[in-house]
Amino acid sequence: MTRTLAKLAATVATAALMVALGGPAAQAKDFLLGSELPLTGNLARVGQGMHEGIAVAIDMANKAQAGKHSFKVSTIDDETSPAKAVAAVEKLIGDGVVALTGGYGSNIIGPASEAAQKAGVVYITSGGVTPDLTGRGYKTFFRINNTDGYALAMIGLLQDMAAKKVSVVYLNKEATSNLAKQVKDALGAKGVTVTMHEFDGATSDFKPLINKVKLQDRPDVVAMVGYENDYVGILRAAKVLKPDVKAMVGVWSLATSQMAKEFPDLMENVHGTSMLPYPVEFTQPEALEFAATYKKLFNKEPDYLGQFGYVQTRLLIDAILRADAAGTLAGGGLPDELRKTDAQTLIGRVTFDAKGDNPNFTHRMGQHQGGKVVLVWPKEFANGAMRFPATPW
Amino acid sequence: MIELTLQALFSGLLAGGYYATVAVGLALVFGAMRVINLAHGELVLLAAYIAYAAESRYGINPVMAIPIALVVVASASAIVYALLSRIEHDREINSLILTFGIGIIMTNGILTIWAADIHSTTNPWFQDSLVIADTLFAMNAEVAFFIGGLALMAGVYWWLNHSWQGRAVRALTSNRNAAMLMGVNPRQTEILSFMIAALLATFAGVAIYTGKTVFPSLGHVLTVKAFIITVLAGMGSIHGVLIGAIMIGVIESLTVTYLSASLQELAGMLLFLVVLFVSPSGLFGGRRALAR
Repeated sequence: MTRTLAKLAATVATAALMVALGGPAAQAKDFLLGSELPLTGNLARVGQGMHEGIAVAIDMANKAQAGKHSFKVSTIDDETSPAKAVAAVEKLIGDGVVALTGGYGSNIIGPASEAAQKAGVVYITSGGVTPDLTGRGYKTFFRINNTDGYALAMIGLLQDMAAKKVSVVYLNKEATSNLAKQVKDALGAKGVTVTMHEFDGATSDFKPLINKVKLQDRPDVVAMVGYENDYVGILRAAKVLKPDVKAMVGVWSLATSQMAKEFPDLMENVHGTSMLPYPVEFTQPEALEFAATYKKLFNKEPDYLGQFGYVQTRLLIDAILRADAAGTLAGGGLPDELRKTDAQTLIGRVTFDAKGDNPNFTHRMGQHQGGKVVLVWPKEFANGAMRFPATPW
Repeated sequence: MIELTLQALFSGLLAGGYYATVAVGLALVFGAMRVINLAHGELVLLAAYIAYAAESRYGINPVMAIPIALVVVASASAIVYALLSRIEHDREINSLILTFGIGIIMTNGILTIWAADIHSTTNPWFQDSLVIADTLFAMNAEVAFFIGGLALMAGVYWWLNHSWQGRAVRALTSNRNAAMLMGVNPRQTEILSFMIAALLATFAGVAIYTGKTVFPSLGHVLTVKAFIITVLAGMGSIHGVLIGAIMIGVIESLTVTYLSASLQELAGMLLFLVVLFVSPSGLFGGRRALAR
């Protein structure tokens, strides 16, 4: 009897001590995140880039939380397939992940995030910019970038160029079509003559298309909305046909260190969205640590994909820690905690609206100049003068 | 309008040349073995990546890298053949599954070794423009490999029609048992057709590396295009492949010029379906199609 009372007293004393120390929230915990990404297939390049950024965020979080909490990420390759992305999300949720970070391609993220929504698990991404994704109003879906931010940057640059006639050459995917139409509507409203040219992803010879632009449209600027191999095809065709334009402007995957190194003669004077110049000029402590960790893990300079992957995962980790400290993580409090986010990040300020979108997102425009990427728009972020008119030929 | 049309026809002709160099190897192997090698596009891609590796690491001109690429692609083709030859039953069906699997392995092998980045030659000569009569524009690479491809296909055509080994391939295509009774060694003949296909794949791969961009998932796109052209031509018809490829190239190019670039694949497929509707064996099909 005495022994039983002693055990009970010890248990009560231990519980009281735990409460005094802050209860279960103060315990060291292992948080498992899930990541579904295209590591193979057509989007392998961008998927791997984001994967690297996520790995950097995990590494930095573990360093910052050493002795307190630890983070791991379980990654499944969706092979650039929506069906496999859904299966991957369901598998990761079955494995007990706290939340999901990753996803690339609006058509893949759509069904994958729907599976996460059904399970009530947070899905955060930077790989899908189409308005439809946030238009669904899912409580668990978040993204840090969107079509508006890319369109604002492209439109802003074209206005600075005072372009009167623009030919938009765009890929017939959901995200690229949405962006192209947004650019067309905005420029059209300002009295700019815009001609649209849609192309298929299988197009490898752009000469007939660029010849139409050259002979029929005669624009001031060619605006390209596609991916890396599309840009190379368009620029090669343009370099052969030499249309009388003042600038070649694109969006994502263009003003990058990879393109500068791989296609130096083709990229000269070409514009594209870019958050950072190349070579990278980091000044903030977090950015410096990000760059050092990236270099340590992958032995190369960080690119924009890594940056976005890092930012989305860092914000997720911050929200997990806050929700855990508040004791709301297990009770499904992570979406609400993410909505409280208001952070300065490598891509600028991030907050989330009721639909999970980041209304602050505005991209910057860079220009390839002599093997470097110089930020030329907006003026407050520019680190060099824009060359205009200037083309690769 | 005339300028647009002429450029569209010229671009379509050059694109057809690319397609033909990829498709002829597939047609040749099918003619000899009744096997559709679904890893053929990946063999083409492997040659492109060997050219890339030779240029980026050792500064070797892509054309000079052809012999190196040929050794690698021929070795890979020999492995594909060795695996195919172990199929004892339902070779036509089982070979599809086997070569599809080999294609996936090769794609992932390329992805592992060379990552997912896109690549193309850095040699400016290949990208320099060639202007004919101030109206027709092309890259040097396109014209050079178009001419080279035509010469190579003419060589294959001559080989099939005028050499003993070529005739042996045709004899196997026509009647395997009768050919064996006439002293044709089927194994040797099949290996030879695989090696010729490897040569064509190597040439096509280097052509794509110099004139387009290469990335790991390109292989199956090439296989599908080659398969469509091979069926359009009539399974096993070599000159049918050239004509079919040029037809596809020109119809795609005209569609881009007069309709929309997003409809070019659809236009190619419509042509394919119309030809098969009118002539179910393809343009030059039939059991004895090889080299006709």
